[in-house]
Amino acid sequence: MAKFPWMKFAILAVALPALTLPVACFSYIVWQGLPSLNWQIFSGQGMSGFGLENGLYGQLTGSLLLMLGAAAIAAPVAIGTALFSRLYLNNRLRTHIITLLHLMQGIPPIVYGLCGLVVFVHILHWGISLLAGMLILAIIIMPVLVLNSLHALERIPLEHTEAASSLGLTDAQLIYRVWLPEAWPAMLTGLLLGMARALSETAPILFTATVFSGVIWPESLFEPVTSLQTHIFYLAQEGANAQVVGIAWGAATLLIGLILLFSSSALLLRRMDKRQRIGP
Amino acid sequence: MTHNNRFFLMLFSTLFLASPDADAGVSLHAAGSTTVLPIVSEAASAYHKAHPDITITVSGGGSGVGIASMIQGTAEIGMASRDTTPEEQAQLDNRADGKVDNMVIARDAVAVVVSKAVYLGGITHLSLAQIADIYRGKVSNWKQLGGPDAKILAIDKEASRGTRHVFAEAVLGSSHARAPGASLITGSNNEEQAIVARSDQAIGMLSNAWLNDRVRGIAVDVNGQSIKPTIAHIRDGSYPISRGLHVLLPRHAAPEVRDFVHFLLSVDGQAIVKKAGYLPVR
Amino acid sequence: MLKPGLGLAILLMLLAAVAVPVFLLQASIPFWQAAGISSIWSSEWYPYEQLYGLLPAIIGTSWAILISLAIAIPCSVAAAIAASEMLPPMLAEKARIGMEVLAGIPSIVYGLIGLWVLLPLLQSSLDLLTGHSLLAAGLMLALMILPTIMLMTMDALQQVPADQREAGLSLGLDWTAQLTRILLPAAWPGIRSGILLSLGRALGETMAVMLVVGSMDRLPQPVYNILQPAQTLTSRIGREIGEAAFGSIHFSSLMAAGLMLAIMGLSISLLANKRP
Repeated sequence: MAKFPWMKFAILAVALPALTLPVACFSYIVWQGLPSLNWQIFSGQGMSGFGLENGLYGQLTGSLLLMLGAAAIAAPVAIGTALFSRLYLNNRLRTHIITLLHLMQGIPPIVYGLCGLVVFVHILHWGISLLAGMLILAIIIMPVLVLNSLHALERIPLEHTEAASSLGLTDAQLIYRVWLPEAWPAMLTGLLLGMARALSETAPILFTATVFSGVIWPESLFEPVTSLQTHIFYLAQEGANAQVVGIAWGAATLLIGLILLFSSSALLLRRMDKRQRIGP
Repeated sequence: MTHNNRFFLMLFSTLFLASPDADAGVSLHAAGSTTVLPIVSEAASAYHKAHPDITITVSGGGSGVGIASMIQGTAEIGMASRDTTPEEQAQLDNRADGKVDNMVIARDAVAVVVSKAVYLGGITHLSLAQIADIYRGKVSNWKQLGGPDAKILAIDKEASRGTRHVFAEAVLGSSHARAPGASLITGSNNEEQAIVARSDQAIGMLSNAWLNDRVRGIAVDVNGQSIKPTIAHIRDGSYPISRGLHVLLPRHAAPEVRDFVHFLLSVDGQAIVKKAGYLPVR
Repeated sequence: MLKPGLGLAILLMLLAAVAVPVFLLQASIPFWQAAGISSIWSSEWYPYEQLYGLLPAIIGTSWAILISLAIAIPCSVAAAIAASEMLPPMLAEKARIGMEVLAGIPSIVYGLIGLWVLLPLLQSSLDLLTGHSLLAAGLMLALMILPTIMLMTMDALQQVPADQREAGLSLGLDWTAQLTRILLPAAWPGIRSGILLSLGRALGETMAVMLVVGSMDRLPQPVYNILQPAQTLTSRIGREIGEAAFGSIHFSSLMAAGLMLAIMGLSISLLANKRP
């Protein structure tokens, strides 16, 4: 060990950009964005043009609606799929389902956007609409949700399930009394991560669910919305206007804040769940 | 009945019962040219203030999108900063639900813009042939045209954009002519404006309403005279690359749509046109 | 009632999984009929002249991915080694949480950084006509996939069984040999999945790439010139899908580009799924 540890230094040197650059980006966004996150950005006072007559209020609503809708559609389907595979499918079939889900994850989100454009917007004639965006995002987050739920169910000790069957519990009772009480934290973790993901996807909803301006609260599921993600994209092209640049960074900070809210609750929940399972 | 089943019943009933017209309010959608967008967007919010039950959503995408949205019926109002091509017109005429009316609500100039540094370096006017040489790749340094010693960053626009059609028609002879000298393709006016502003050696094409200190419109030489892209020169027709800004609406459009287009052509609407930097038509 | 209820859920899931490739194929058929398979290796893209060469976008996508992996793999693997083998466990845990947070930053926000920070920087430091380039796209992608590879490598390193580590130490291996002969080989499957996962993400990333790549449908000249504006498959779709009329060959050609993305993405996940 007397030798100079050149390998350690080399590794640290190569690692340095990876450790610092993402943090630098994050700090830069927040540093640029925080000053413009004032009341004005929500009320829209003194702003005209850029689709901001009402501040970012409409964009915020749209993003949240899209996310909630996607979660509400995806969660029951995902949990139902996981329960069905656990209850009624043998190991081989379940492995096939898992492979299928991995494959679905491999398809880029913009491709789901294309399919949604063809099916929902054009063939079903919904037009550019909130519902189309919700469904596309739901399909995008579905694999994560199913895999998480399956994983959570598989971690339940076999004895618990066997004890329940020996007590003569029906499948429904087994789910409600044994499985869900044990698996819900992990399932919720997956859902929260999925919601964070739904908030960050931009390309799939750009041409299927969102417009530039004019919406604060959509009148129905078949109306388009505005969203934070897509509005950052529109504002990004206005680089020549200092006021707009500030608003774009503000919107980015707001979006990251929202995403962090969901992803950090997920991480926290996962940690608590892990601690509980291992025991105090 | 399980929890799951109930959820899907609810979901499907929302899907099929909530028809688009079930609500009291009316929502209209306008899509297309980013040159026309500032007018319609501003007019939409003014119109919404006067008629709170009518909301008008606006999205960009370019003139091609505006015309395509009329052909496909995906929007109530189309925006275009160019005339329709013969193919597009044929599709518009063969629409299942009737013809589409095309109205000019404003006029503007497609300004040939350069970065501030290029302008101050001596490029204040060019002939159409010189501009064509740049876009055909025959001239690649500003020095060859009497400007600063800097390579030319020629910015082209996406093929279906209205500004591109009008510019290419006037400069290169055909709206779809290739531009081998171009080194960057942009979409909206805003995007192109930002890139020209940040560069020291760029040339591009923009509506006259997008000119500012860092994005200068140069004069175009016509018969020995240098004509600047000003409102006065659009009005008297001397600037060679000017055009009408159109809105398209189906002939059988709902009364609300017609009323909104009337508003665009009213005194108040035309005031918005003027404020946005274009030439009113009334 | 339980079984049909849950069965409906799994049916809906399967329906979604089947519908996506079916509609993708169906919508791209007019393009394959009109332009033919040869458009994959043809380099002219002028929809108005019925020329639909996909080669520039395919090459652009490949370059952007190559650049991003070439930068991100060494940096993030080194960072993972630094975090899990050099830092005290407390700090390593903090680094992991930090990376998990950063992995959640949406691509459109990275796009802002690319457009307003990276492009001017590239333009002035490399003295380019414009910063829009494959290099810019590759750098953006590298930044976005760094956290993923690093997190998965950290996981893999920390899961190397203790007895393997001890076996290495008892052989008298020094730190470097311990790392290269014991730890990295044992962690390789995890690192590999991390790389493949980020490869898939880089392939399908749209917003950040679209804002910085320049959208120029031209082959790089010469083909290794990564300092010129170029085009990728995702940026092609993102830019043109809005303006292509549904039912036209142009629209169909963009669906074909989507189909190619899907096929590439599926092959990557198949590769990741097949344990070596």
